[in-house]
Amino acid sequence: MWLLVALLVALFWLLGRASDDSAGAADASHDRKARWAWFGGVLALWVALDWPVGALSGYLASAHMLQYLLTALVAPPLLLLGVPGGAWRRLASRPVAVRILRFVTHPLIAIAIFQLILFYTHLPSVVDRLMVTQLGSLAIDTLWLGGGMLFWWPVVAPVPDRPRFGYPLKMGYLFLSTVLNTMPYAFLTFGELPFYGIYELAPPVGILGAREDQQVAGLLMKVGGGVVLWTAITIQFFLWFNREGEAEGPVPTA
Amino acid sequence: MRLLALTACVAVLSVACRVEAPERTQAEERARSTGYRGIFLPDADARPDFVLTDMNGETFDFRRETEGKLALLFFGYTYCPDVCPVHMASIAAVKRDLSVDEQRGMRVVFVTADPRRDTPERLVSWLGNFDPDFVGLRGTEAEVDSIMLGLALPAAIRDTAAGPDYAVGHASQVIAFPPGDGFRVIYPFGTRQADWKHDLPRLLDP
Repeated sequence: MWLLVALLVALFWLLGRASDDSAGAADASHDRKARWAWFGGVLALWVALDWPVGALSGYLASAHMLQYLLTALVAPPLLLLGVPGGAWRRLASRPVAVRILRFVTHPLIAIAIFQLILFYTHLPSVVDRLMVTQLGSLAIDTLWLGGGMLFWWPVVAPVPDRPRFGYPLKMGYLFLSTVLNTMPYAFLTFGELPFYGIYELAPPVGILGAREDQQVAGLLMKVGGGVVLWTAITIQFFLWFNREGEAEGPVPTA
Repeated sequence: MRLLALTACVAVLSVACRVEAPERTQAEERARSTGYRGIFLPDADARPDFVLTDMNGETFDFRRETEGKLALLFFGYTYCPDVCPVHMASIAAVKRDLSVDEQRGMRVVFVTADPRRDTPERLVSWLGNFDPDFVGLRGTEAEVDSIMLGLALPAAIRDTAAGPDYAVGHASQVIAFPPGDGFRVIYPFGTRQADWKHDLPRLLDP
């Protein structure tokens, strides 16, 4: 865990160094905010992977779900927002990278891959096989983080430029995700029996039985995921609202 | 490029859908051949005949008290960190889904392998967490070991030298005796609620 934190801090430093020196006042302001966003992203990952959430994720489906929320839905947008402005400009100046990113982070592809990862990493057979080993658990965390980056990229990242994917479409994209989240939520919350052997047969922690734990996990996915996604939708709405207001100019006074 | 991505997605999805846990397939394979997901032992002796003391201090004659009913017998201890609470919780969760008549037709009997620490009060409180109808039995260590040996189970190993928080090594299977006897079904640790849900109605009415 500490290795990951150290790597992320080092990456932030490298991205900062990679920024060009022509940064103006706007860039300085962006980078100050970016620093806090990056810190928030690292903090979310730390909470997700370290004790107690990380340790309990081998015993409780609800802790596993909290880990998913933090790793796939909270940390990635913060880390992307934490990239300094200069680093984005350098990336935009590399045509091959932009071409690859344009394809991989196309909203339809990004949401499809993310949903596939969500589906795959919540299959009982996959969870029961992977979560019993450290390597398997790391694979799940990596898939979540990578999938989350991909999912949030079209919403948050300025490269590649997608003028047609404006705020209304971003809101629609996020809303679609809240709908797609409903399927695994329904399976977990309304399932008659525990799906995951690893959690059903784990030494009991606290007062939650295996079924109740699974229901809490489903609710966390729906409510926690909903809170994150609807917060993002609200932010997109206000960004859109402000931009429209700026485009119209000041309201004339009598 | 897009075709490649689509093919990769379909490949991953099909692999994901085909992955099955080996223990699941074993239990289901058993169910296909014997009708039970537990380990079916045909032509077994009648249920054991032993008398211990229940958690209310009353004498409990196992054979008489469980006659004509499905009996689930388990040897464990209340300080057990894993196997015992998981077995009890699984059985209790599935029992709650059965009809009242079905619930009346079965008895879950927990015999403590650790009578030093498992006082009657502790048995009442611990088993009550799962199901107040579960019966807790106590005897001397020698009595309990002798019953276990009679059922071809290993005697418990009590590591009392390790201090007051000692662990007890004990058999981890639940033994099911159907109402008419004649066979037994063994449920090792790893038995899931889905397995109990599949087998309990069949055990109640074989």
